[in-house]
Amino acid sequence: MLEIKNLHVKLADEDKVILKGLTLSVPKGEVHAIMGPNGSGKSTLAYVLAGREGYEVTDGDILWNGESIIEMEPDERAAKGVFLAFQYPMEIPGVAGLTFLRTATNAVRKKRELPEMTTPEFMKFVKEKAAKLNIDFEMLKRPVNVGFSGGEKKRSEILQMAMLEPTLCVLDETDSGLDIDALKVVSDGVNALRGPDRAMLVITHYQRLLNHIVPDKVHVLADGRIQKTGGKELALELEKSGYAEFTGKAA
Amino acid sequence: MEGAAAVSEKAGRGMTVQMLSTKAEQAILASFEANAATLPGGAAVAALRRAAIGAFASKGLPSRRVEEFKYTDLKANVKDVLPLATGGGTSDAATALGAHFGPDFAANAVVFADGRGVAAKAGVTFLADALGKAPDWVSAALADAELSASSDLLLNTALFTDGAVLDIAAGAEVAEPIVIAATAKDGAMTALRHVIRVGAGAKATIVEIERAPKGSGVRQSSALTQIMIADGAEVVHIKLVETQKGSLHLSHWQANLGANVSYKPFQMTVGEGFVRNGLNVLFNGQHSTFDYGAASVGHGTGHADSSLIVDHKVPHCTSRELFKTVLDGQARAVFQGRVIVRPNAQKTDGKQMAQALMLSPDAEFDSKPELEIYADDVVCGHGSTAAEIDPDLVFYCTSRGIPTAVARGMLIESFIGEAIDKVEHEGLREALGEIARDSLTA
Repeated sequence: MLEIKNLHVKLADEDKVILKGLTLSVPKGEVHAIMGPNGSGKSTLAYVLAGREGYEVTDGDILWNGESIIEMEPDERAAKGVFLAFQYPMEIPGVAGLTFLRTATNAVRKKRELPEMTTPEFMKFVKEKAAKLNIDFEMLKRPVNVGFSGGEKKRSEILQMAMLEPTLCVLDETDSGLDIDALKVVSDGVNALRGPDRAMLVITHYQRLLNHIVPDKVHVLADGRIQKTGGKELALELEKSGYAEFTGKAA
Repeated sequence: MEGAAAVSEKAGRGMTVQMLSTKAEQAILASFEANAATLPGGAAVAALRRAAIGAFASKGLPSRRVEEFKYTDLKANVKDVLPLATGGGTSDAATALGAHFGPDFAANAVVFADGRGVAAKAGVTFLADALGKAPDWVSAALADAELSASSDLLLNTALFTDGAVLDIAAGAEVAEPIVIAATAKDGAMTALRHVIRVGAGAKATIVEIERAPKGSGVRQSSALTQIMIADGAEVVHIKLVETQKGSLHLSHWQANLGANVSYKPFQMTVGEGFVRNGLNVLFNGQHSTFDYGAASVGHGTGHADSSLIVDHKVPHCTSRELFKTVLDGQARAVFQGRVIVRPNAQKTDGKQMAQALMLSPDAEFDSKPELEIYADDVVCGHGSTAAEIDPDLVFYCTSRGIPTAVARGMLIESFIGEAIDKVEHEGLREALGEIARDSLTA
């Protein structure tokens, strides 16, 4: 279970406070969506969960399976099962996709006290996962995300997620930059990972993604706090009424 | 330094100057006088050497006032001159090549130890042996006026003790790389001159390696390669130099390209010594391509200078330069890319990029593009960057479970790998990659 308790976060270099007492729980086996207007703190929440530098937690805590993760390095969190699918996946020139995947997979397995995969095991594993996501295997021989289209980058994120077998998946605006076919492939990939041992937090601005990844709960994030929580029907309401109600409250 | 300026000024007015200002310059003159009688070559070569040392005496070692040595001041940095090695050493190919090179390379290597050839290979002649009966093209190359421009080259002409003479016949396709390996004892100076001619339509890969393994003492070396490439030939020319602290390596390549030539040089410099890699390219025929790559890894107080002069004398030629360096400690790298496009050299296409990855706040990267364009229908561009490792990329890697140190290593390797990837020969590319990797973790 993910428990975010009264989380206050500011930018490390500036006085700007972004999260102002965010409280949220996602039990294992559930998928929760976070929706909110631009600037509400959605991406900050995603980065703080993954452990990116540049943010300072001034109050509150984040517990994953009962253990606080806020002091952990990003790689330790990954080993504990945390995975962030980036809104803008980064390009790494000069590092082949397969090398990257193998390094990451084995690093995580090592920390989880699982045996490292041999080359044939790894190749079989990656081929299987890539095929399910319609990823051309040749693409993985190229440098990570370099020259990939928006859709290819998002599929590459989901492939990494599938390879690392996380237990807490945070998807940051995974629908941005996707056409309808790519959205379906990506959503199918995410849905395939739904399971009783896995919690998912799907961050999105639009309701569209939630037609494909149907959430158990929807939270509205505005002005650094959860303003409202409801079932999947809340997303449809928001699509009609917009976020004015919440941004008004925030102002 | 004041004295040096005064001396060269007088010399410029045509006065004969016997006194030099620095101890190193005097030691070079003394070394020449001590060895002149026994240096290889007949009367013509002796005269060439005498003229070269005379010109050197008037110019002195290049200081930072000489534009080509702006960041690599030999007058200030060369304090002592080691005695000239004139042979007597032994080495086998495997030792000379050092770690990372397998027996395939050793089998194709010609080896020089302490300034003299010790292991021959079919098709390669030792210059010292050839001088008495040198073919005209070798004699002409040795006397090339282009080489009197700079005193580091004059020094080589005056002192060279041997070198490889390689004459690749027109149309020949040499499958395996031809390796020229040089090694030397500690505490000595060596001077080698390689003269290479590649016939029309021939294909060859030539590799020069000079490595002082870790733990070596101080060494000084001068290596000058002249390569003449005839029409339609395709040449890959690779250099690896590894130096240790306190050592000096002065390298220069002089390349003359015919028409429709593909010339791909790649130079890698690792270690903590003081290294100069000069490269002059002359486009003498149309539709030729010069595609240069360089990678250097600097530590400690290492200094690696790559200075190029690319002379587009004729139309329709292409030049590409990619220089990448990783700098740690107080290491310094220099890239000078001078591109001259002569008035008639229309349709010239020249691009250069120099990039440094700075791992330490005390490292220094000096990058100086110099474009002299006298033709109006050309495309020429240059770029240069110096940056630290991108923290966003480190985060991306660590968020996937990769530990920070591994992530940084991977990113550094990929940075330098982009240059090494220009080496098409798989075995060479892998060996150079491993050498870069090992020096990155040194």
